[in-house]
Amino acid sequence: MAEESILTDDFLRELMNVGEVDILVGVPTFNDARTVGQVVQAIRAGLLKYFPRQRAVIINADGGSKDETQELVRAASISDLQHGSNLPALRTLHCISTRYSGPPQGGNALHTIFAAGDLLRASACAVVAADSTSIEPEWLDRLLRPVTRDNFDLITPLYRRHKFDGLLVRNLVYPMSRAIYARQIREPYASEFAFSGRLNTHFLSAESPQYGESGNEFNLLVAAISGGFRIAQAFLGDKTRLDQPPSDLVQAMRQTVAPLFGSLERNFPYWSNDGQPQPIPAIGPVPELNLEPLRINRKRLFQMFTHGVSELRPVFEVILSPTTYAELQRAAAKSEDQFSFKDELWVRTVYEFAASHHKEVINRDHIIQALAPLYRGRAYTFLVENRDASSEQVEENVEGLCRTFERLKPYLLDMWERK
Amino acid sequence: MTILQDALWYKDAVIYQVHVRTFYDSNGDGIGDFRGLAQKLDYLQDLGINAIWLMPFFPSPLRDDGYDIADYRSVHPSYGDLEDFKVFLDAAHQRGIRVIIEMVLNHTSDQHPWFQQSRSTRDNPKRDWYVWSDSDTRYRGTRIIFVDTELSNWAWDPVSKQYYWHRFFSHQPDLNYDNPAVRAEMWDIMKFWLEMGVDAFRLDAVPYLVEREGTNCENLPETHEVIRELRAKVDQQFPGRMLLAEANQWPADLRPYFGNGDEFHMAFHFPLMPRMFMGLKLEDRKPITEILQQTPSIPDNCQWCLFLRNHDELTLEMVTDMERDYMYDEYAREKTMRLNLGIRRRLAPLLDNDRRRIELMNGMLMSLPGTPIIYYGDEIGMGDNVNLGDRNGVRTPMQWDGGWNGGFSLADPEALYSPLMLNPVYGFQAVNVQSQKRFDHSLLSWMKRLIKTRKSMPVFGRGSIEFLYPANHRVLAYVRQLGRDIILVVNNLSSSAQAVELDLKRYKGNILIEMFGRNIFPRIGDLPYLLTMGPYQFYWFRLRRI
Amino acid sequence: MREIIISELTQAMHEIARSFARFLPRLAVMLVIVIVGWVIAYSLRAALRSILRLLRFDRLSEHAGATELLQKAALPSSSELLSRFVFWVAWLGFILVGISFLGIVGVQEHISGFFGFLPRLFAAMFLFFFGLMASSFFSRAALLAAVNADLPSPRLISSTIRVLIVILVASMTFEELGLAEHTVLVAFAIVFGALMLGLALAFGLGGRDLARRFLERRFVHAEKDEREDELSPL
Repeated sequence: MAEESILTDDFLRELMNVGEVDILVGVPTFNDARTVGQVVQAIRAGLLKYFPRQRAVIINADGGSKDETQELVRAASISDLQHGSNLPALRTLHCISTRYSGPPQGGNALHTIFAAGDLLRASACAVVAADSTSIEPEWLDRLLRPVTRDNFDLITPLYRRHKFDGLLVRNLVYPMSRAIYARQIREPYASEFAFSGRLNTHFLSAESPQYGESGNEFNLLVAAISGGFRIAQAFLGDKTRLDQPPSDLVQAMRQTVAPLFGSLERNFPYWSNDGQPQPIPAIGPVPELNLEPLRINRKRLFQMFTHGVSELRPVFEVILSPTTYAELQRAAAKSEDQFSFKDELWVRTVYEFAASHHKEVINRDHIIQALAPLYRGRAYTFLVENRDASSEQVEENVEGLCRTFERLKPYLLDMWERK
Repeated sequence: MTILQDALWYKDAVIYQVHVRTFYDSNGDGIGDFRGLAQKLDYLQDLGINAIWLMPFFPSPLRDDGYDIADYRSVHPSYGDLEDFKVFLDAAHQRGIRVIIEMVLNHTSDQHPWFQQSRSTRDNPKRDWYVWSDSDTRYRGTRIIFVDTELSNWAWDPVSKQYYWHRFFSHQPDLNYDNPAVRAEMWDIMKFWLEMGVDAFRLDAVPYLVEREGTNCENLPETHEVIRELRAKVDQQFPGRMLLAEANQWPADLRPYFGNGDEFHMAFHFPLMPRMFMGLKLEDRKPITEILQQTPSIPDNCQWCLFLRNHDELTLEMVTDMERDYMYDEYAREKTMRLNLGIRRRLAPLLDNDRRRIELMNGMLMSLPGTPIIYYGDEIGMGDNVNLGDRNGVRTPMQWDGGWNGGFSLADPEALYSPLMLNPVYGFQAVNVQSQKRFDHSLLSWMKRLIKTRKSMPVFGRGSIEFLYPANHRVLAYVRQLGRDIILVVNNLSSSAQAVELDLKRYKGNILIEMFGRNIFPRIGDLPYLLTMGPYQFYWFRLRRI
Repeated sequence: MREIIISELTQAMHEIARSFARFLPRLAVMLVIVIVGWVIAYSLRAALRSILRLLRFDRLSEHAGATELLQKAALPSSSELLSRFVFWVAWLGFILVGISFLGIVGVQEHISGFFGFLPRLFAAMFLFFFGLMASSFFSRAALLAAVNADLPSPRLISSTIRVLIVILVASMTFEELGLAEHTVLVAFAIVFGALMLGLALAFGLGGRDLARRFLERRFVHAEKDEREDELSPL
């Protein structure tokens, strides 16, 4: 049965006209007309300033925007068709946009970008989110130069974040992936990253066709780790997004925790061995945390936690071990000021969830959803404990959590094997 | 065969640029001469060119390759005498070849009697023939052209204790065109040569004729007035003769030199040439199309002159700093190749002796709008010698055969005006006319076919140009049209095979006929026309409707 | 006259004996069919048991929530139950074939009716089973969604949905079996309609305040939260 290609005929024709490139920058979009213009201009400025002699292309993988997202991207191209353009550009710069087949999912967009990079034999590729309004042209240099000049294969970003921003990453995704894969990668689920053509080819040939899933960037990272590729982290800048409602927690977990759990299954032989966590070189200054005070509704977090622990009893009884669930119930019974979701309990909870996910005791998506209220409890504790903390203290706390994850890795293995 | 009297002959010309010194030595003194040049006219006629542009051959101390003139009405003794020149001129005309000579208006050698007189005392009648000043601060802000050798546009004369103005080397003082005596004399000189039968003048360094305080002393209106005067006289007394301007300026600044068809007939399109090389290296047509988009339209009786290389360096004055750096890095890795904001290399070495690239560049030269100039030796792919000083690396003796001195001269090799090329790749034993004449596949034979095809249709010299902008930026495609004749030219600037779709809807129904093989290609229909091209390949198609 | 009676009696006895003799072989064949049928049904059950174990049918039924129900009713596991059910159906089928072979008039129709009924029986079982699975899946999904959206009484919502789906599935099953179709259908419509009407009334009249507070919490409350809760977990 012929596999349906993710590349449409028209897009293929445009790729043919672009030809071989040295640098490819991909921008996944879906109804991003508000911000994509600025992002693409910054990318273009970065390419012209730092890579003026390289052949480059900007590829927009769009999920079916109903606004002028695609037109905005195309308008940024530099060619001899635009008479009187005063940009000091040596070369033509194609900016092409395609609507990929399939539903608008990050996985599909990334797959389109990977495939285009492979076809055009780009030696360095970068992916930039369409809503990164804090992007500077320098980001292109910091992401791509290590790939083009220093032969790195994957560059993940480092951001200057707010103390309380990205809690899911800091409390779950980062520590767990660090413990499992023995690499200290702070942003395993990155919206800006760069990779080499070598890694791209390796990833595409190994990947099974499940591109619709989100989390392809995480899979790329795991492929890089397990394949022994050179990885580094580059400091970019502030991570801010345009004012928009915070992403739904469950959706965020689907995009990050689900691929993480899923990757455990596929890469079992790799991570089941003991590995000493290897540091990953960081390029650029080490980011400080932004310590601006922020008003947060902590009470609601606590409430949703206790609520969830009691209401989801039938579900937790299937997923968690009886001891862990009992501990959770005891913790939830405490009052707000006495409640504390300890590191050790959290780690065990997460590991049990991972094991249940692997054994598919119930529908996997339901498992992820069930984790959400528990995470809220953990987030509450984190906020309380770090309310007045300095940058270093927050770092220490996160480091402590990481070590707990590492220490309890045998527990995960144990749960994994058990029927 | 006599010269056809056609007022616009220069639009159909294919010009061969040569220095008489380099071509052929008839008297064995190691220096080429007019008698030798006359003997080689058959070769040139066979090649297919129909105009020769002679580098300066007037008497001169030769400190600037003859552009420093010491006598305007004679021939340098090394090359023969006036009689030899006349014989050569007639012989050329008999073969249907016109002759263009240099006329350096802007300056003379400091050995010219005029300057000798002018500098002798302050009240000499010829004092005012040059530009003198007590201080060297006048005309501040004027750029220095030979940046590698000169530090100022003023030179101190110890004889008359004043500064004199020179835009070029310090031994080439500028004439003062505000002086009517100077203007009258220069016209008289031109008349002298025109009466002898010379067909055209290349007027050297015209932007710099007149100076005015507070300007950059280039392209001034007074300069244009001088030229208009000269042109009016030429048209009146010698109709059918041509004036060619050497002005290294941006196209917009060049436009005034055509006036309203009442100044120069032709001018060199300097900015296009480095961009052709750039486009080839970048594998991107953008530099070429952009400069031609910016080129203004010129009066109907005027024409651009196109060239790939010449006796000077490949000048990079008319490019941005970024572009210049790129050109240096790609085409002149060694610093010795760089000179005066340019690259001093011949065509073949610049293109890595790649036959395909050489053909492509020549193909573009012959199909872009303008009159093409072939630099002597480039038709056989001669190399250069960067170890010779200044720009002499591209002025080595013409290589006729693999024998004694490459067939250039019977003198001892040490007596030659310049050493021959000896290395195994470009040396005279590897690259010479004799061996290339024998084979159909040689570069020389190919050039002959190219020139013949070009001359077969006047559309190349006289037609309009319209660019197609296919999405594949590595392909340069354009349509030349004159009346009912339509030619489609497609060039692949890339080193790899390419596929390109051309939007030819306007020409729907035409059959494409490839001009070199004369084979028919598919007819143009509704769909975009798909062409696949090999590395550096180009097509010339004639569109025919039957 | 006595001779006639004796000869008639003897003839009648002979007839009975003859028909009995004609009947015996058929009985024998029937017994053979029944025994062979038993063997086949038994192997079918064994085979089905291993297939179901391979397919991890028990896990599936756990998901469906069927296992729970069976345990409560003190019945064996679903794969065991299914295998035994298949055994009995198969053997019953053979017995009926055997009986039909006896040639007893009038029985044929019922027997073919039985066999015509079998596909519908299996379809109904199938429907019921997967309906149970769906109800358990959707009720859990609703529970999780309600908890994560901070809706009040998520368990109530979850059970409501489960019950609704089970009722729907049961009605469909009965209809498929052809048992009291119309009754069940009408009953279902009444229950469903009443439920909907009740909810509407509740929201419209008595639950006005509750509804308002609910809506407020959904939209207004969410806004306030957004401003304070500006963190993105990523």
